[in-house]
Amino acid sequence: MSEITGSRDYSALAEIDRLVHEPARLAVMALLYVVESADFTFLMNQTGLSWGNLSAHMSKLEEAGYLQVEKSFKGRRPNTNLRLTTAGRSAFQEYRRRLKQMLDDLPE
Amino acid sequence: MSAMLNLKEIERRAFRSTYQDGLWDMLWGAIVMAMAISLHRPEDGYSPANIIVATVVPVVAYGFFWVGKKLITLPRMGQVRFGPARKQKGRTLAIILGIVVLVQVGIVGLTALGWLDPQMGAKINDFLADHSLERLAVAALGSLFVGPAMILIAYFSDFPRGYYIAIMMSLAVFLMILLNRPIYALIIGGLILLPGLVLFVSFLKRYPLSQERVSHE
Repeated sequence: MSEITGSRDYSALAEIDRLVHEPARLAVMALLYVVESADFTFLMNQTGLSWGNLSAHMSKLEEAGYLQVEKSFKGRRPNTNLRLTTAGRSAFQEYRRRLKQMLDDLPE
Repeated sequence: MSAMLNLKEIERRAFRSTYQDGLWDMLWGAIVMAMAISLHRPEDGYSPANIIVATVVPVVAYGFFWVGKKLITLPRMGQVRFGPARKQKGRTLAIILGIVVLVQVGIVGLTALGWLDPQMGAKINDFLADHSLERLAVAALGSLFVGPAMILIAYFSDFPRGYYIAIMMSLAVFLMILLNRPIYALIIGGLILLPGLVLFVSFLKRYPLSQERVSHE
């Protein structure tokens, strides 16, 4: 996405959190927003992302403090459980608010 | 983008996906098939084998359901914890089903009282003078015991196929009591179980247990 400058009309777009805006991460965050927590396999199945893709996006969201990742074993099977942090929930809410505002402000 | 932000739809789709393994359908199908034994009145009276088989079949079916969820579905589909709204729905369902069971126990209790009280018994006998009408009334009452309860389960569990199961279960109970032929419960149980089996096979194809899924992410 190119840098947006010099237009008041598009200022809301420029303020949109690009970490959340990326479609794959948005899908992950939207899903985790509506549930309490989900494991890696469930997210993979629901979003249709590959293992590598989801892993990469998960790391970015975790680095940003939006995602809490808990690794454990269920029996002998490794399990990675994911949930949105409070910051992640706020970021998603704010993203929705800004996007809605921006779309509402667009001329017919 | 709007589809991605339709949170209600995302949650509903995620929730309903947990039923796509068909195990629940198979469990209910097996329970209805067990009714072929539990609701059947043999000419020579009930034998202990009747009671044992009628008890064992649902227990074994539930065992398969539990093992299937734990060992087949969850490793393939993954695990999820839903939010407070779903938990609240579950609690509401438990309370309503509790009330339904109490009402059913009350009806059975009143029937027993009617048997014990000669005057009440006489009134019921007058009302149901015709033997076929008596059986029809019991059949209707029996189907009312299972149908609405299953509809409530379908509604609160957001399980659309549950409505079909509710109708089929009611029909099975009704026909079993009215006509006393196990074949009806077996066929209807099969009609519930079969779609579950198809869903289960397609679930296994759709969610293979690859090495990637079992390794630590």
